[in-house]
This record gives sequence, C-alpha cells and structure tokens, in this order.
Amino acid sequence: MNNDYIEKVITELKARGASDISVSHDTIFVSVESDKLRSLVEYIHNELDCYFRTCGGCDERPINGFFALYHIFGDDKHGLNIVVKTYASSDDPKFPTIVDIVPAADWCEMEAHDLLGFEFTGRRQYRLVLPPNWPKGLYPLRKEVPYNIRPKPSTSGEQISKPTNIAAIPIGPYHPALHEPEYFELYIEGEKVVDVKYRGFHVHRGIEKLGETRMTYQQINFLAERICGICGFVHSTCYCQAVEKAARIDVPERALFIRSIVLEVERIHSHLLWVGVAAHLLGYDTGFMHTWRIREPVMVLAELLTGSRKTYGINLIGGVRRDIDESKKKKALEFLDIVEREFKTLADTLLSIPQIKKRLKETGILPKEDARKLSVVGPVARASGLDRDVRRDLPYAAYKYVDFNVPVYDEGDNMARLLVRVDEVFESIKILRQLLDQIPKGPIIAEDITIPEERMAVSLTEAPRGENVHFVITGRGKPYRWKVRAPSYQNIPALKIMLNGVQLADAPITIASIDPCFSCTDRILVIRDNGEKYWLKLTHPRGGSSCPRSL
Amino acid sequence: MSEKSLGKKLGLFKILIIAKKAGRVTRKYPFEKPLVTDEFRGKIEIDEKECIGCGACANACPPNALKLIKGENTFILQYFIGRCIYCWRCIDVCPTNAIKGTREFELATPDLNDLYESVVHDVIKCRECSKPIMTVKAKDYIISKVSVSENYIDLDPDCRKKHFLSSIEKRFSGGIE
Amino acid sequence: MSLEYLKKSIWVFHLNTGSCNACDIEVLDVLTPYFDAERFGVKLVVSPRHADAILLTGPITYESLPKVVKAIESAPRPRIIIALGSCACGGGIWYDTYSTIGGVPELLKILKEHNIEVDGVYYVPGCPVRPESIIYAIGLFKGLVEKKVKRKVKKAGF
Repeated sequence: MNNDYIEKVITELKARGASDISVSHDTIFVSVESDKLRSLVEYIHNELDCYFRTCGGCDERPINGFFALYHIFGDDKHGLNIVVKTYASSDDPKFPTIVDIVPAADWCEMEAHDLLGFEFTGRRQYRLVLPPNWPKGLYPLRKEVPYNIRPKPSTSGEQISKPTNIAAIPIGPYHPALHEPEYFELYIEGEKVVDVKYRGFHVHRGIEKLGETRMTYQQINFLAERICGICGFVHSTCYCQAVEKAARIDVPERALFIRSIVLEVERIHSHLLWVGVAAHLLGYDTGFMHTWRIREPVMVLAELLTGSRKTYGINLIGGVRRDIDESKKKKALEFLDIVEREFKTLADTLLSIPQIKKRLKETGILPKEDARKLSVVGPVARASGLDRDVRRDLPYAAYKYVDFNVPVYDEGDNMARLLVRVDEVFESIKILRQLLDQIPKGPIIAEDITIPEERMAVSLTEAPRGENVHFVITGRGKPYRWKVRAPSYQNIPALKIMLNGVQLADAPITIASIDPCFSCTDRILVIRDNGEKYWLKLTHPRGGSSCPRSL
Repeated sequence: MSEKSLGKKLGLFKILIIAKKAGRVTRKYPFEKPLVTDEFRGKIEIDEKECIGCGACANACPPNALKLIKGENTFILQYFIGRCIYCWRCIDVCPTNAIKGTREFELATPDLNDLYESVVHDVIKCRECSKPIMTVKAKDYIISKVSVSENYIDLDPDCRKKHFLSSIEKRFSGGIE
Repeated sequence: MSLEYLKKSIWVFHLNTGSCNACDIEVLDVLTPYFDAERFGVKLVVSPRHADAILLTGPITYESLPKVVKAIESAPRPRIIIALGSCACGGGIWYDTYSTIGGVPELLKILKEHNIEVDGVYYVPGCPVRPESIIYAIGLFKGLVEKKVKRKVKKAGF
C-alpha cells in the first residue's frame, strides 16, 4: 500500500470539503455535507479514475438522530476503497442525486428510495424493489418496522403493455429458456431487437432486514450462503471477511487456505455449468450433457471436502469448521487430472463447430467506453478489454501466495465471454494444485472471537460472475446494517447496449452470456432508452400499463 | 491412425470418440446404491436419554426448525424436518452430545405430519409461585456441575430476586426483621 | 379426481417461485447422464398445460404469487404438486419475513380460497435436494419404494 499516495488523496479530499477522515486497512472513510457531495464525487470518479461499487442507506436515528447514505468507490490500480458518508435530517430525508455523473448509481438510489423512504432531488423516481400493491409509507428497512409484518398478498398480476406500432415479445416469467422467474419484453422490428423492458425482482426475500433482526453473527453465515445457490460460498466468505476486518480478528493461515480451495472448486463448477447451459441455448444438447457429465466429479469433490454438494456451510467467523487431511488431498488431485483432460478435449471439439463460431462471433458487442461508464465487473469486463480482477488487485484469503494469469480479450462479443470463462477453468485448476501443495499446518479457527460495536468495514471477493461487495456496521450480538451488492446487479444494465440490433434468435444467448443470477440481484429495473423515459405506472388500477413516450 | 490425427480429421465429429470413451455412467438408483460419500450431512437424531431440554440447539438453529415449546407441565423439543437446512450447528453446541448426525436423505412423504419429531420433558415448578422453570433433567445436570445451586434452583428468577433482596436487608438490619 | 390415471410416465413442469437456484440446478442435474430421470418416463415440459406434476421450489414471494396461481390453475386435472426443498416444505430460513408467503402449506390455503383444487401434494425436504431424493420421491409416487419417515413422539428418559 502506497502511504504517500493515500496522503495525497486525503489532502485533495480535505480541500473539497471532506471531514472526519480515518484510514483502516485498505479503506478511507470520509464524511461530507450534502451540498458538497456532487463535487467530491466528480473528483473521485473522473479525476482519480475510481470505479463505483455501490451505495446504501442506513437508518441511524437510534444512534445520532439522522439518516445516512454511504457511497463506496474503488481504486483497483492502487488497491483502495473510499467510503463517502452524508447525512440528512430525520423528518425530511433528502439527498442530491449523482446519477448524471455516475450512471451506474441508478438502481442503488432507487433501492434506498423504496426501502427507506429517501428522496433524491434532481431525478425521476420510481418504485423499484417492492411489489406494486405494497402499501405506501411502509418502509421495511427502517428500525421501527418489524421484520415479519405481512400485508395481505394479492393474486392479480399486471398486464402486458401493448404499444401499437411495434411488436412486443414477452419472455417469462416462466419460460422454457429460463430457470428463474424474470420478465423480459423485447421490442422488435422485423427480426432485429430495438429495445428491452425488464422487470425482475421476483426473488426479493428480505435478506438484509432479516440479518439485522432475528439472526446473530454466527447464524448469518448460513443465511448469506443461500443468497445464491450457485455462488453461495463467495457471499459467505465475503461476509465473514467484513466482520473479521471490522473486529480485527486474526484468522489462522490454514483456514485461509481451506477457504481459497473451496472457492476455486466453486468457480470450476460454476463455469462448467455455464458452458453447458450456453451449449443448450445454442441448440447443442449433446454438448450440454457431456459438460454436465464432466462436472459431476467436481460436485463429488465438493461433497468430500465440505459435507454437502451445494451450500457448503463450513464458514464461521474466525475460521472454518472442517479440515482437509491427506487422503482427501490425494483424491482431489486425481479428480482434477480427470476434469482437466476431459474438459480440454470437449472445449476443443465445441469450438471447432462452424455453426457455433458463426453465431457467437460479432453478436452482442459491448464497447470498452460503455463498459467503463457502467462499471461492469467480472468476465463481462475482461471480455471488453478492462483488466479487473479482485484476486490480483486487492488480494484476500490465500491468493497472495499463488500466481496465475488473468485472461483479457478485446472484442467484447459473445465469443470473447465464452473464451474468458474457458480459460479461467484451466487457471483455477492451476491455482488449486498450488494451494493443495502449500497448505500449512495449524488450527482451523481463531481462539478469541469478540466483536465490538460501531465499527465499519468493506470487503470484496471475486465470484465467478464478478466482484462482490459486502458492507457491515457492527452492533451488539448482530450487525446494525448489512448491505450486499452482487455482481449481476452491475452487469444487467449492460444488456440494454448489448441487445441493440441483435437478431431475435440470438437474444437468449446474449442474455445468458452475462451469466445473470437473478437471485443474487433481487431488484427490479426499468431500462431507459438514451434519455427517452418509460413511465412504468405500476400502481395503475388496471394492474399496470406502460406508455413509452417514443421508441 | 493415432487418436490425435483421427481427431484432427474428424473435427466436430470428435464428439463420437468422446462419447464412446465415456461409456455408460448412469447409476441405477433406487435399485442400486446411491453415490453418497461418508462426509454427507443428512438428518439428525435426538437421543432422548441424553437430552436435558436446555434449548441451546433451539437458540443456535438458523431457521428455527428446533423449537422448545414451553407448556404448563411439560417442555417439548420439536424438530421439524421440513424446515431443517442440515447445517449441523445444533450438534456443535449441544452440551451433552445428545444429537447425532446421520446420512439419511430419503425423506419424501405425502403427509406433512410425518415430518415432526418431538421429545417430551417433565418440568420442576417454583416452590413459591408454581411457575415452570426448567426440566427435571436440566436441574440434575446443573446440580452435578455446581453443587451449591441445590439451594436456590427451585426458585424462578423473580422469586430468587425477592429472596436475595430480603436477605441483604436482613444483613444490614442486623438480623432483625 | 383419482390419481390412477398417473401411474405410468409423469410429465413435470419446473416452477421456480423465488428460490436461490440450488434446488433448480439439481433438478437439471437429474436429467444428466449420472442420474437420468428419463428411465422412469419423466420429462421436463415447456408449458404447465402439458404437465401432470408441478415441481415447485422456493418460498413463494409476494411478487411471484399471482403468476404461480395462474400457472397452477392452467395445469389440467388430475394434478399434483411436488414441493422440493426446505423453502417449499416449510418456508425455509426465511419463513416469516415481510416478503414471502411461507411455503406450500400456506399456498394451499390461498388456493382453497380461489377454489383451485390440487389432487395430491408430496414434500421432499433437503437443502439443497439431492438428485437421488427427487428420484426417490418419484419412485414413492409410482409405488417402487416404501416410505421411511414417520411421526415420532419420545419421552425423555434416563
């Protein structure tokens, strides 16, 4: 960490009105008044060239009588996080918007608007997260609202919008090509897609509120693992790391190695799953069956190491619950050899089919400048020329002891995203061999686990889909505020640009190429079309109608 | 021809060689044994001879599948298999090792009542106000660990507070009430 | 309506009402070569109008409730619901939050209010469900295996 660079940044931030500055590990915490927020954000985003990670609101009225809003930025080149905090009074929570400077902050602000009742001046506001007939004035994340309040559910859904001069194809919420409930409306002219309306959010289960009320610190590990079934261990590790950072707990080295081993096993299984589903969506069912046949030993390996095929449940704050002995190590190395050999043959065969090459090349292109403005993460960013990987830039767990390559391609089309994932499988196998070789001896859980109150921490991990951010403010016995931002949340607005001009038959593979995990996302978005706005009137008495202004 | 050059000539038809090499991998479950390792976490078994009814497992269970239902004459420890997430945290925290993990996963049923298991405990009552305090087995366990607690264990917390305050008062007033 | 009409091949429709996807990828795993549900004649269909059984995963969320009711209503009689996983059987780890209904037992009450009848319900616990558990549930329905769980009430002894 470059201390001179941090000093320089702090002086510049102070000159622009920041106060209350403190530095802990790799994070700089600042506070600022709400009228100076926009100029500070412009400096951080444009001149320091930081990426936007997330923003979250918090109800701090029991502590200091105000509502607070936290914006989190990240500087990957220097390995830093910057957290900017503003306040608003409790009877009139108004904040200035930063959406014109940072387009990626759109839904985070609307989520705070829905769940906490914040007003953002200078932008159009709409209902995002809660169902359409949720009673007005009931904000679930405020501290006085109980977590198990249940208004009467309605069984009448909304109607499809019917614009008159353009054909609309509804996909979902239950469709043979999808495995999760989500709703897309593709507007097409002839065979080309011109615009997309997306309404998701069928998977909002109230996780953040549950983590603040009924659950204790050690129980939230199991809750975080079930945010997503495919990349669950990443969320659990990220939460544990945030609490350990805030409480300054020393985790033993052997536990860090075991966590990294299980993380890489999860990455291999997730990428193999994706390659199979992509082959199925392209029509190549043989490829789907063979890829999942090769993936099965990886699931048996996970069961051998942790006790369950998915949702492993071995993380605790301060370490892990299960150990790896010599016989398991030997079996793991055998399985890895088999998987590497078979997947290499299969990937070569798959990429030599001329129809697949033709369908994947030059479709769904995401140019580099748009990718930078929207702060996309993961394989989507690496396929568009942005060189971002949390395992190398802000190393966590045992990644500082291994070396590996980060594959980056420049084209930004569907083929590049497939190649990035295939390369990452082989890199993961290489990392696993190094980790299994170097694992040190020692205890697997820390001795003394005491968590003091009123500390903050930000922690990042690299999920198979991108970067994952967890933000924790500790309280007594359970967190005071826990904010999760999953990687698919940042990647879905890129769909608006990728689906523009694509043939209708290529739409499913383009949507699947960002590897969306809607249960991680659990938000709704209304995609706007270059400045023209959709008015999605969800509280309309007829159940919802949308009148697009112009198409 | 060697396999590599054959593969180059076939191109995309190499999938036929891959399929032939893999053969048939299906396991004919349920007529054959399933593919389960020794480490698998299945259903738990509560041993009614060791359980003392303290409720530590009910506190630690994330989805509240284990519940200690406090009635007037009995405390019932109820285990709902339908909501269990098979994390085995209850096994970690039980003080008497009364809960054991098994590898059972064949738990399907058409009747929801089949998924409840209960252990029924007798309780002791407060000698002053007759409210139920804890189970008989928990009392024996505490007395075996801390023998001086036998004097006040059959008082519930409110009555214990009253006794304690009155004994302080007695001491300050020299033993005269 | 009698369930005797459903003793041969059962066609299933996969309905995800808001789950985390672990049970859903195990449903896809049942079709792959290691477990192969098609030995029993079970096929995954594209529309609930072709389905005999509905594989339901997830605690039913407020947002997806109208669509779930519509999908179940459009399956022709006789129809059964197979509730997969701990989220569907009893609400799961979020059985009492503000945004979920609480699983299939509560859904049946709502269906009764709307006069939609379901001819049978099967509960399969697990988190996530193993592919062998799903095959065991299908075998139980077809009469190939015996039921193993039973309600137990034990008295604490010494």
